[in-house]
Amino acid sequence: MKLRTKLTLFNAISKLVIVVLFVLLVPVLIKNITSNYVDSKLIKQKNKLLQIVKSKGIETYIENGEGYGSYLPLKDEYISLDEVDPNFFLDTIKRGKRLFSEGDTLEYRILSHTFKVKNKNYLLEIGKSVDTLDETSIPLQNIAFQVLLGMILLTILADQFYSNYVLKPLRLIIKTKLVGQKFPNFQSYRKVRTTTSDFEHLDLSIHTMIETIADKFHKEREFISNASHELMTPISILQSKIENMFEEEDINDDLKVRLLEMQKILNRLKSITKTLLLISQIENEQFLKEDKVSVSELLQDVYDEISIRLQDKNIDYEMSMPESWQMININKFLLFNLFFNLINNAIKYNKEGGSIKIVGVAVHDKFLISITDTGIGIDADAIPLIFNRFKKFRQSLQQDSFGLGLPIVKSIAAFHDIEIDVSSEKDIGSTFKLIFPATLIIVN
Amino acid sequence: MNVLIIEDEKALAQELEIFLTNYNYICEVCFDGASASEKIATNLYDFILIDLGLPDYDGLDLLKEAKRNESEAACIILTARAEITDRIKGLDLGADDYLPKPFSLLELQSRMQAIIRRKFGVKNNIIDLSGFLIDLSNRTISYGHSVINTITKKEFDLIAYLILHKNRTLTRMQLSEHIWGSVVNNDYDSNYIDAHIKNIRKKLNAFASPDWLETVRGLGYKIKINA
Repeated sequence: MKLRTKLTLFNAISKLVIVVLFVLLVPVLIKNITSNYVDSKLIKQKNKLLQIVKSKGIETYIENGEGYGSYLPLKDEYISLDEVDPNFFLDTIKRGKRLFSEGDTLEYRILSHTFKVKNKNYLLEIGKSVDTLDETSIPLQNIAFQVLLGMILLTILADQFYSNYVLKPLRLIIKTKLVGQKFPNFQSYRKVRTTTSDFEHLDLSIHTMIETIADKFHKEREFISNASHELMTPISILQSKIENMFEEEDINDDLKVRLLEMQKILNRLKSITKTLLLISQIENEQFLKEDKVSVSELLQDVYDEISIRLQDKNIDYEMSMPESWQMININKFLLFNLFFNLINNAIKYNKEGGSIKIVGVAVHDKFLISITDTGIGIDADAIPLIFNRFKKFRQSLQQDSFGLGLPIVKSIAAFHDIEIDVSSEKDIGSTFKLIFPATLIIVN
Repeated sequence: MNVLIIEDEKALAQELEIFLTNYNYICEVCFDGASASEKIATNLYDFILIDLGLPDYDGLDLLKEAKRNESEAACIILTARAEITDRIKGLDLGADDYLPKPFSLLELQSRMQAIIRRKFGVKNNIIDLSGFLIDLSNRTISYGHSVINTITKKEFDLIAYLILHKNRTLTRMQLSEHIWGSVVNNDYDSNYIDAHIKNIRKKLNAFASPDWLETVRGLGYKIKINA
């Protein structure tokens, strides 16, 4: 999930939760507020009444020991004053029901207060109907809910809009700097415009990191390219010297054998250097991709080169390749070497009398060419490493190789955007599957 | 045949001279572009071997000069810079061949021979090896009246290379470099030469014993031709 979506979602949900909580609390709150309000009003009324009693005497209300009572026509308020037992004491505000002579029973909030005038004890009751109070809380709740919901929607929109605006540089950084960059070929640096210092920092850091990596890559390639070039001349001189010495008349066979040994070592050096140079040339994209060649013809060429090796190990070679497949936009020399190295490996690591199967299948818009051998296989944990330079895993074989065959294959494949998929089972064999994009193969 | 060797690496120039002199070429050596330019302008050569990486001169300029002088010289470019652009440039400017360093001297000689055949249109290029007639132009081997058509391209390449360097022992490495030179091989296993030779012998034995194809124990192979 994207950061922006997450933020918006969180904002919306958290606000909703708060609002729901608030709306649920509204009745309680309203009850509280109104009862406080009513209570203070009741106390005020009580004080006023006591004031009147004090100034005008209790006789204003009570004459001849008869109780006083009064209520509004709809009975939502009432006052009663009565003489009570001298030892009775009460000073409370609470809910209670009162029965009227007409037979109505109504619920009130009732203030009860006893006071003494002229050695007589009186009880004052002031009541206020609570029905009117409760009725107000439900519409209030509804209004609060609607208003708040509207406000939430507004803030969510605002949040969405703002986070969209404020996160735009981040999106831009991810889109232009991280996604779709072909490592290690990066586009030139373009500053992402932002006033957020964190993003500025991020942008700059990513840029610096990419630049450092690209620079290291460039230097490594340059070094390999230069080193192998520089090695070519001395190797050339040594090779010529050995070749000329070989023909000297006064050199005996013993010495010749030793010269041959030297030549072998030199050849090894030459092969390594040439291979490294080739890899660096591929990585520096110094090859053109303009050739067009039939897959089966190219494989036939490889077969011609390699048939002696198949014969030497008595290996069965089977090819099922559609004649109509033509490779386009490729470098023939490189593709030849790709297949040569894969098939050569399939022979090298095969059993005596084993078999090699090469199959071409079109799947959707892709073309698969798989090379399957019945060889010694590769350990599962070694598979990700077999394309690394100078790695030799299958050392059980006394083969003269220096672990550059698969790196060549990998470089050539990457150069052409061909995917390689390796599957293998120990002692059963390996399959190298080449996945060609539709841009590289046409069917005639 | 006159050869001008333009190579700033003195040790390499010297080996080239020794080798080509052995093959009866008359060699002149230049270590820099300036003196080479002078020599190209004044003398006539059959071959000019140009190293591209000269300190004072762009080798390709020398190639242009050589071509401008309307000389008949065949130019072979020798270079450690194996970039394809150089390759294309070189052949565009009229280089007859191109050898990336490090190369085998035998390979150089074989390329020169090929140019000679092309330039002078050598027609009758048939070698008689005790009854086996090897036609280097048409690339066929026959015995008596029958053409031996079981010989593969690689096998013929091997025989032709051995004939070109007749009476000289060629090591397995030199032979595999010649016939597998175009492949960037990840191993230096040259044992397959033995398998090829075995096949050749088997195929020729059906007609007569190819005694001329000799195994030099521990070293390699040789074709003996008594001149």
